[in-house]
Amino acid sequence: MAQSKFFILIVFFFVMSVAMAQAMDEDLLQEKTKEVSKTLRCAVCQSESIWESNATLAIQMRDIIRERLIEGESPDEIRAYFISRYGDYIVFKPRFRGINILLWGGPFLLLAIGAFFLHRNLRKWTTQSTQTGPEHLNPIDEKQRKRIEAELRSLK
Amino acid sequence: MKRFETWHIFLLAGLLALVVLFYKGLWGDPTALPPVIISKPAPDITAPALLEAKNISLKAHLGKVVVLNFWASWCLECKEEHRFLLAIQKRFENNPDFVMYGVNYQDQEKLAKEYLQIHGNNFEHMVDEKGKISIDYGVYGVPETFVIDRKGIIRHKQIGPVFGDVYSNIVENVIEPLLNEPA
Repeated sequence: MAQSKFFILIVFFFVMSVAMAQAMDEDLLQEKTKEVSKTLRCAVCQSESIWESNATLAIQMRDIIRERLIEGESPDEIRAYFISRYGDYIVFKPRFRGINILLWGGPFLLLAIGAFFLHRNLRKWTTQSTQTGPEHLNPIDEKQRKRIEAELRSLK
Repeated sequence: MKRFETWHIFLLAGLLALVVLFYKGLWGDPTALPPVIISKPAPDITAPALLEAKNISLKAHLGKVVVLNFWASWCLECKEEHRFLLAIQKRFENNPDFVMYGVNYQDQEKLAKEYLQIHGNNFEHMVDEKGKISIDYGVYGVPETFVIDRKGIIRHKQIGPVFGDVYSNIVENVIEPLLNEPA
């Protein structure tokens, strides 16, 4: 009797652990499906990812992502598959190649041009201001010089 | 007045190029979708036939010119183009190197069969279960039509209905020249 109770307990724990492992796998798979789906544009919606959309095409694409993840494909491989079918349009984040380089590098290029001009102009201004020493001032006449000296003496 | 330096010219040229790029973008069609799959090998298809209890395989038709038309019974434009599809099949049905298939997309089998009964039919159709075929071909919606050459390469993709000028273009400038290419 005690033996059969022990056996039932073992079977119960075994079934529970298998069920828990399956649930964890399912959660992980769902999380990965979500991660990939969020980076892909729903081709028939307005600015929605296939994770957010309920369009049939988006649902079918999510199923394909799930199947490919189960088959062992990486998120990058899955994205590459969709790009090969729909082009760069399907990904929210454009790839760093071709005309896309302009998109990625454009802001940095404009920033560099702006920094160059700023540096150039600042240097010009500072050079001008350092040149504005006493030797570059217009000479003053004797009357003005005496007045300035008198004012400076009164300050003492 | 200061004279132009080399970097001035480069900067102006760069800015001008950006303006041209943006101007060109203004007149582009925002709904235009890039047909990236053209000139690539047609993904293989093995799918159940809609009207018969059998499987259809695209691989079996290597060496032939294949027309694939994605359609659905709920699609209004598909109804408009249907008689033109029948006309394509009629025009080439005696050519052993030509084959045309319909791919039923996001549809109900019963409605699809009724549609073909009402609008007539002279070519075979397959069922796109779970959208795998349409996603494999980069289909956005229906109708879309693909023309595949004898080597199994996708040579033409038509987004939207095949009628009027589009029909003439596909028949005269795509299918006929491909059929005239050596096997």
